[in-house]
Amino acid sequence: MITKRVSRPLRVTCRLLGSVALVAAIIFVYYRLVPVNSLTVALTLVLAILGIATWWGFTESIAAAVAGVLGLNYFFLPPIGEFTISDPENWVALAVFLVTAITASELSVRARRRAAEAIARSREVERLYALGQALLLSGSVRTAAREIVNSIIRTFEIPAAVFFAQSNGEFFRSDERTTSISDEQLRRVAETGDPLIDADGQIAVVPVRLGGHSIGSLGFAGCTLSTAALHALANLVAIGIERARSIDEANKAEAARQSEVLKATLLDALAHDLKTPLTSIKGAVTHLLAKRRDAEEKELLTIANEEADRLNRLVVEVLEMARIEASKLHPDRAPHSIDDIVEATLKAHEESLKGREVRLQIPESLPAADVDFEFIQQVLKQLLDNSVKYSRPGTPVVISAELAGERIVISVADQGQGIPVGEQHKIFDKFYRGLTWRDKVPGTGLGLSIAKGIVEAHGGKIWVSSEPGKGTVISFAVPIFKGELVR
Amino acid sequence: MSGAKILVVDDEPQIRRMMRATLTSSGYQVDEAKTGEEALETFRTFLPDLVLLDLNMPGMGGLEACRSMREGSDVPIIILTVRNAEKEKVEALDAGADDYVSKPFGMQELMARIRAALRRAPGSLQGGPHGFASDDLEIDFDQRRVRVQEKSVRLTPKEFELLRHLVAHGGKPVPHRELLQAVWGPDYGDETDYLRVFINHLRRKIEPDPSRPKYVLTEPWVGYRFAIPEDP
Repeated sequence: MITKRVSRPLRVTCRLLGSVALVAAIIFVYYRLVPVNSLTVALTLVLAILGIATWWGFTESIAAAVAGVLGLNYFFLPPIGEFTISDPENWVALAVFLVTAITASELSVRARRRAAEAIARSREVERLYALGQALLLSGSVRTAAREIVNSIIRTFEIPAAVFFAQSNGEFFRSDERTTSISDEQLRRVAETGDPLIDADGQIAVVPVRLGGHSIGSLGFAGCTLSTAALHALANLVAIGIERARSIDEANKAEAARQSEVLKATLLDALAHDLKTPLTSIKGAVTHLLAKRRDAEEKELLTIANEEADRLNRLVVEVLEMARIEASKLHPDRAPHSIDDIVEATLKAHEESLKGREVRLQIPESLPAADVDFEFIQQVLKQLLDNSVKYSRPGTPVVISAELAGERIVISVADQGQGIPVGEQHKIFDKFYRGLTWRDKVPGTGLGLSIAKGIVEAHGGKIWVSSEPGKGTVISFAVPIFKGELVR
Repeated sequence: MSGAKILVVDDEPQIRRMMRATLTSSGYQVDEAKTGEEALETFRTFLPDLVLLDLNMPGMGGLEACRSMREGSDVPIIILTVRNAEKEKVEALDAGADDYVSKPFGMQELMARIRAALRRAPGSLQGGPHGFASDDLEIDFDQRRVRVQEKSVRLTPKEFELLRHLVAHGGKPVPHRELLQAVWGPDYGDETDYLRVFINHLRRKIEPDPSRPKYVLTEPWVGYRFAIPEDP
């Protein structure tokens, strides 16, 4: 770049001298070596001037034309050896020569410039095409951005380029020469969409947009591309980045789907493998239990049976928790009346509620809830289980429901010892068991976290309010059904 | 029905061992199969009175085996599976199973269900109706024959019992629990999903338009009833 700048005036001077020298040589040849008439000399000079115009340029050809006029006048037009012309006809001839030489030069130079421009445009198109192909092969957005910068430099022979990705605010600079373009300039062009091209063509920043949506901006240092080419390039980059982004997204979605399928299959296989031996154990034990009469044997078999049940509950709860954590819980939501869910739950757990008074406070006007019947039944069962476990036999349990905006809040209240304030926020944590109770009441510490997972999968929430010594209320809110009710 | 033949289908050898020991000691004859394909084979030669079928097996699964057996036979099929979701239960009943027990189970519970499934003796409903006839539906309870629009229709024993029980109440609604206990046995009562599936089967077979039933009607929150069309 620097060498070019110094050599340009030097080259022009050399060419000017060359042009004049060529004219002098022609005149010398015709004057001394091959005597011809002045017309031949004039035509030969026109030819030479045309050649100079075509190969070197307008300035050089003008210099040659002026030298030619002077030479013709001095050496060939009478009076020879003087810069004067006696015959008016020769004045006309000399003027025609000059006009012809200049016009022809002008035309020739224009044609040459057009050809050069056409070549430059076609080269730009070729490069854009090459860049387009390079962009099609790039992978993710990050590698695409880096590759775009490299491809631009390689394909367009631009000294340095920078790409600013607006989505994540990253700058991809080819090297330190791009520091002449500031982060701020790149950001502003991306935001406003107005290109920034400085007068001497040393810096150009163009916005990269697709369908009015801004993707970022491209900056070039020492770039000689036309404005049209810069915009075409920016469009190409926009398409390339957008393409990489959609491939990224498709890949991510596919990966998520596959991992979800894998998790579900794994959990199913795990459930099968854990429950199969339990089935053999429980089958064998319960069969013996029904046959044996001996009290000691019965006691031992009962223990084995109860422990098999406990192990099974643990397996079910751990897998359920795993399912919730793998976001594999997909509630099958439909309009259900809270009344029905409560009734079904109480019926299914008659045995464990024996000797308890269960008070229901459910208003008849309650709208239907948009929930999965089985899942909410499971939540309710868990809350009832807790109430029964952590309050004295004989004390009542209250199940209430009320409308709160677009939600139904269902609460289960007991008159147990309550939960110390410091522990209340922990009871929904996995495997957490109350300090006072962990050695007295059996359990896994998973029940309430599963209940929480289920309620949250419905877009609801669950919370506790408890007064030590008086009792505990656990409430959860689920959305009401908003569609048309068809029965 | 002691001495009845039971086919145990499960891919887990330990479960087959346990089942053989417990069932044999309770007086049943037992044969086993490891896969669905083998089950169909043994089914033809052993001619079981009842099938205990696992759902999750390599190769032909339990559901498909259940459908194949049901095509040519009314033998009671009880599904034994580790899965416990409503959806799977309905799928199994839809495939033609009579009952569904989730693993692990207590042997007493399974025995009760086996007994209930084997118990369904024809004509157990004493003094019931002998038949029913309308324009497009003819039922002969003594011959166990049903004709819909002049065409003979095959009902499974459970479907037949369900229909008989509904018709016997002559247009009055029958509660879920009562229907379950009459058709499945005294240990049943909460399995309303069983009724939903079997009532659907029944409607598909005897209703001219199953989506708008005119004979087997739902009584919301109560049960079902058989509507006797009034004479025009």
